[in-house]
Amino acid sequence: MVIKKGPPWLTEARAKATADELRLWAALEEVEDPEMPVSVVDMGLIYGLRFADGRTHLHLTFTAMGCPCMEFIISDIRERLLQEPDVSDVTMEIVWDPPWTRQRLTPKGMEKLRTWGIAV
Amino acid sequence: MSISEQQLLNRLQEGKLIETVDQMSPVYMEGMKRILTVSADTELISAPAYYLAAQDAPSTNAYLSAMSIIQDELGHAHIAYRLLEDLGVNKEQLIYERKPEEFKYPYAFDVPLETWAELAVANAMYDRAGFTLLGDVYKHTSFGPWKRALAKVDKEENFHLRHGETWMRKINEQPGGHEELQRAVDWMFPLTMEWFGLPDDRKKHTEQIDYGFKGSTNDQLRQIWMSTGIPFLQSLHLDVPVHWDTAEQKYIFDFPFPARFVADEKRWLFEEGQSTWDEVMTRWKARGPMNRKFVDDIQRGYNELHGNGDGKRTWQEVMRSEQ
Repeated sequence: MVIKKGPPWLTEARAKATADELRLWAALEEVEDPEMPVSVVDMGLIYGLRFADGRTHLHLTFTAMGCPCMEFIISDIRERLLQEPDVSDVTMEIVWDPPWTRQRLTPKGMEKLRTWGIAV
Repeated sequence: MSISEQQLLNRLQEGKLIETVDQMSPVYMEGMKRILTVSADTELISAPAYYLAAQDAPSTNAYLSAMSIIQDELGHAHIAYRLLEDLGVNKEQLIYERKPEEFKYPYAFDVPLETWAELAVANAMYDRAGFTLLGDVYKHTSFGPWKRALAKVDKEENFHLRHGETWMRKINEQPGGHEELQRAVDWMFPLTMEWFGLPDDRKKHTEQIDYGFKGSTNDQLRQIWMSTGIPFLQSLHLDVPVHWDTAEQKYIFDFPFPARFVADEKRWLFEEGQSTWDEVMTRWKARGPMNRKFVDDIQRGYNELHGNGDGKRTWQEVMRSEQ
């Protein structure tokens, strides 16, 4: 359930997270990118997550402004978070600054992409 | 330079792949050209076919997804034409100098996809057919360069399928959406089944399988499609005229197959009963309503520049005529 290691952004996000938020981060690890079997967390798409009074607010980005999967990713995230009994509402804010780079991949994400045949 | 049929079969029996032209026998070479041409033409024509419906996209994001699928398809076409070039085929001639009716792709793409719902059903059904066929080639082909290219194609086709399924689920929940999907399934499902070609009792597969062009027969491929396609369609409570036969462990058609089809009306004449495969092949060869337009969409720019239509023109002339 607990995210063990990761790039600095993830370590920082975890340090600030409450126990509930850590659980939601773990839930997001089950949401895969529609094109590749890598979670949205391991892809480094989640910039921030806040949870209070049943409401989850996310900051997320995409690997490209022309990402063909934006709608899928948004609806998959919403669907998964709403499965948590204490989550009643999910809002998302798309951010482009800082822009996504490969540096945001977690070691697990990188390893999965390599196994899957993509050089990173 | 080529090798004899026996030398080739010996090589395949040793489990080796064919990597270059001088490892091919004449029969292998011709067979590989044929199957690659069908694959390349199918991917190429899917681009204008999908583009027609993409213009009906309900949002910018949806339009982006559809355009991305079209881009993938053109990439897949390019790979197959590129491999044909290695086999000595003139790619330019193949793409730009054939007549529309000489292109070899499934008849289904000759019937226009005119709505976003029809595009969703096409992604869920036609791309599933492509995924089934290319998945089989990926697993079984004896041509190394194609096998390696398909590793990526396979993954991208999976996304197209997912796109179709996700949109079908969404449309199914909208008022009138279920009925719209049902209408599309009614005319597109039998065309998807035709996609796999003649039934096994009409077609000899020995060469195709012995030479490692494919691993499963046409009837087996239809069953592979249905093993995932039918449960998906049924999960949306869409009627599909087939049933599962527990004794035979396969799906059985509950509609006349093959049958006559009125392309302009997107309507099957099931009431007339079973047609013949000879009749179907005549329809395939004559091509359907969109064949000429789609091939023209692809060839127009090249022909304007190289003068296969109205006389040779230069880039400057082409640019001027646009102003």
